[in-house]
Amino acid sequence: HRRLPAVIPTPPVSASPFPNPKSQYCCLSRNFSAALTPLLPVQLPSRMETHLWYVVPDEVKSAPLLSKYMELLPQSERDHVLGFRGDQLQKSALLARTLVRTTIARYQVDGHLDPRSLRFKRNIHGKPEVEWETKDGFCPPPLQFNISHTSSLVACGVTMNSLIGIDVEEKRRRTKNNILAFAKRYFTAHEVEHLNAIPDSELQQQEFIKLWTLKEAYVKALGKGFSSSPFNTFTIRVNTAAQQASSGIAVETLDSPQNLTNNWQFALLELMGSHYVAICLERQETGGAGKAFPIKLTARKTIPSVEDELVSGTNAVVTIGGSVTQF
Amino acid sequence: MASITRASVSMPSLSTSVNQSQRRISGLNSVSFPVSGRSMIPSLRLQRGLQVCCAAKQETVDKVVAIVKKQLALPADAAVTGESKFAALGADSLDTVEIVMGLEEEFDITVEEESAQSITTVQEAADMIEKLVEK
Repeated sequence: HRRLPAVIPTPPVSASPFPNPKSQYCCLSRNFSAALTPLLPVQLPSRMETHLWYVVPDEVKSAPLLSKYMELLPQSERDHVLGFRGDQLQKSALLARTLVRTTIARYQVDGHLDPRSLRFKRNIHGKPEVEWETKDGFCPPPLQFNISHTSSLVACGVTMNSLIGIDVEEKRRRTKNNILAFAKRYFTAHEVEHLNAIPDSELQQQEFIKLWTLKEAYVKALGKGFSSSPFNTFTIRVNTAAQQASSGIAVETLDSPQNLTNNWQFALLELMGSHYVAICLERQETGGAGKAFPIKLTARKTIPSVEDELVSGTNAVVTIGGSVTQF
Repeated sequence: MASITRASVSMPSLSTSVNQSQRRISGLNSVSFPVSGRSMIPSLRLQRGLQVCCAAKQETVDKVVAIVKKQLALPADAAVTGESKFAALGADSLDTVEIVMGLEEEFDITVEEESAQSITTVQEAADMIEKLVEK
């Protein structure tokens, strides 16, 4: 674990694309009774990059810190958080709102850095977006984001330009219903066949969860709501060629079965050995012969306003599907 | 450093640091809504052509509650009523689909994806079931 002692002051993160693996905010002491330490800026993702930020709720234990997070939220979001039943649910809901606000603020899009001042809206289909202030001459950046959370993980994906959808799930998540019965009811025939062909029930369960997260990520990337793309109207095809290190993933919609829909590319990650993270991105450019460039991914584990840890390229983030280069 | 453990009741520091009147359901150990024996909303029967929605039978609501509790692994005495929102109880999208699947089996109905997505509370699920069962 690359962790530095909290009391040693470190210089702020530079604009270099390869910052120190660990940047510490809190120089002198973990004194959370004061206001939250100002956020450290980060560089916007380039056009071809995807940033993945995540928080592990179990690692955020300080009640005063959580109170400070609540103070970042407008009343409506606080109400929303408090409307969840129980500690764990409230905490992950709070961390989700905190993560998205602090992360977007750190990109310093409009020159200043206040997570409180961000406003969010929903597009006509209900997908959350930032509502940028329309000041004179200010052109909102094409910043795209998507959040997903379970009680044990909160994640946010950010791109410039590319529509993005992400979904996270615990690897060992079990369905109450029989997997094949569920898949027959809600997935496509090809996907049912794919699952049916897996003899080991544990592996079948994991493959189901992978498919589920990929399908969710696709619908969330589309941003048109789940009813516009019912799960049985598109197939996620996972190609597991023995010679490839990781499989290719593609989506095929039932209304155009002849053409694999090339507009979307996928990444499937295993995070901390415990979670699957599916990312779906709108394809920006293709290489020769319609091949896509790999997804350039930077992954950071964070506790907002406390610490970041660059984890791409480590054991914490393992690519298990799609073409991904980790930075 | 104070730590929040599973056994602690809600996050008192959150709700006390903001307006007290915003305090909501505060934890697994708290008793919020008493489970009512009978629905307080009188059932209105639909007249043909009217779009007024009738409240579902209590029996239907109870069955939905049972399915929801089972899916979300809630204790039998958890306070779940018609107004309870699936998401607030901890249902994510996979849970919601599983709940709908459970309702389909229990009531022998088929729920279209569009309808499934619009159900957010126990009452809405019960109302939808009754509409489908009437057909």
